[in-house]
Amino acid sequence: MKLMITAKGDKLESTVDERYGRGECFIIYDTDSGEFEAIRNPFLNNQGGVGVSTAQFSVEKKVDAIISGSYGPNALEILRAAQLELYKAQPGTVKENIELFKEGKLERF
Amino acid sequence: MSKELVIISGKGGTGKTTLTSSLAYVMKDKIIVDADADAANMYILTSPKLKHKELFKGNPKAVIDVNKCVNCDLCRKLCRFDAIHINPDGNYYVDEVKCDSCELCKIACPAEAITMKEVYSGEWYESETPFGLMVHAKLYPGAENSGNLVTMVKHRAHVISEEQDIPYILVDGSPGIGCPVISTISGANFVVVVSEPTPAGLHDLERVKRLCDSFKVKSGVVVNKYDLNEEKTRQIEEFAKKEGMEVLGRIPFDECVPKAIVNLQIPYEACESVKRAVDEIYARVMEKL
Repeated sequence: MKLMITAKGDKLESTVDERYGRGECFIIYDTDSGEFEAIRNPFLNNQGGVGVSTAQFSVEKKVDAIISGSYGPNALEILRAAQLELYKAQPGTVKENIELFKEGKLERF
Repeated sequence: MSKELVIISGKGGTGKTTLTSSLAYVMKDKIIVDADADAANMYILTSPKLKHKELFKGNPKAVIDVNKCVNCDLCRKLCRFDAIHINPDGNYYVDEVKCDSCELCKIACPAEAITMKEVYSGEWYESETPFGLMVHAKLYPGAENSGNLVTMVKHRAHVISEEQDIPYILVDGSPGIGCPVISTISGANFVVVVSEPTPAGLHDLERVKRLCDSFKVKSGVVVNKYDLNEEKTRQIEEFAKKEGMEVLGRIPFDECVPKAIVNLQIPYEACESVKRAVDEIYARVMEKL
C-alpha cells in the first residue's frame, strides 16, 4: 500500500511536518517494497489554494493513506471524496510514524 | 517544540487587538507573530525596532510584450478581472493590481506575447519590541495578505524559537475564515476566538468554530464588550459550551480602551477593567496550552 507523509525534509529520518497543504516535503512510501520517493512540495510558495493542490496531488499519486498533522477544510473535502485514509501524525520522524501506522497505532483523523 | 497560541475573531472589529496586545504584555517567554498583515496593528502598538528585513514575492503577474502582440483583443475579452487595457498608443497592457495571476491570457495568446513576471508584494521583518521579539510584515499598496505570507512569518518564528529556546508563540490572526486564517490555524496548539455580543459576532464565531473543528484544534471564546448585550453574551457562551469550546472570560466595555489605543498604549497597561479580565483569561489559556 502507498503512504504519503508530510515531512520537514526528504529522508525517512526527517521530522513529520504538521501541515498538510504547506508541508515542506512529501514522502511517498510503499509498505510492500519499503521503497520511498521524496518530493519537495511544489505548491509551497503559492499564495493560496495549496490545500486543494496538495489534495489533487495526493489523488494523482494514487496514495491509499496519508499521515499528517492536520488537514484544512478545503483539502479535507477532496480527500474525503476520494476516500483516502487520513491519519493524525505523532510528533517524531517519518520512519517512526510509518512504524506506528504498521502497528495500527495511529489515530484516524 | 514551542507552543503556538493563535488569536482570531471571525468578525472584524471585535477587539482582537485589545486582547492580543494585552496578552503580549503579560505573557512571558514568547515570540509575537503579527499574521494580520492587512491591518498590522501590533506593529503600531508595540513600536518595534527593526532588526532584519526581507522582501517577499506575491503571485506572478501577466505582462504583454508589445513587440509580439498582434492586437487580436482575445486576452482583453477573456480576462475575468478586467485587468487588460489599451493605452493611448494602442498598445495592450496589464493592470497589475487587478491581475489575479490566473494565466488564462497567457494560455490563450496566439502570439505567445504574454509571460508571467515575478513581483514583490511586501516586506517581512524581525523586530525587537518591549514585549519580546516580533515577526511581522508590511504589504505594498494593492497587495493582500495570503496563506503563503502567514506560513512564512509563522515558520520564521518557529525557527527563532528553536534557536533561542523560546517556549511560546503568540499569533495575531486576521478576521474572516479565508486563506490567511486557514494558514494561521494550521499548526496551532490552541485558538482563542474573540467575539462580541451581536448577531454577527455569534454568526462568525460559528463559522470560525467549524474551521477549528476541521483542523481538530481546541479553541476557546472571549466575549469582548460583553455588557453591551448580556443576553447575546449568554447565547455566545451557551453556543461555546454546547460545541465543546472553553469559555475563557469576558471583557467589559470601557471607553478607556479606544482612548488607550489612540494614545498608542496597550489596553492592559492603561485600563484597569481590561487588566482584571485579561489576567483571568491569561491564566485559563495557559492551562490549555
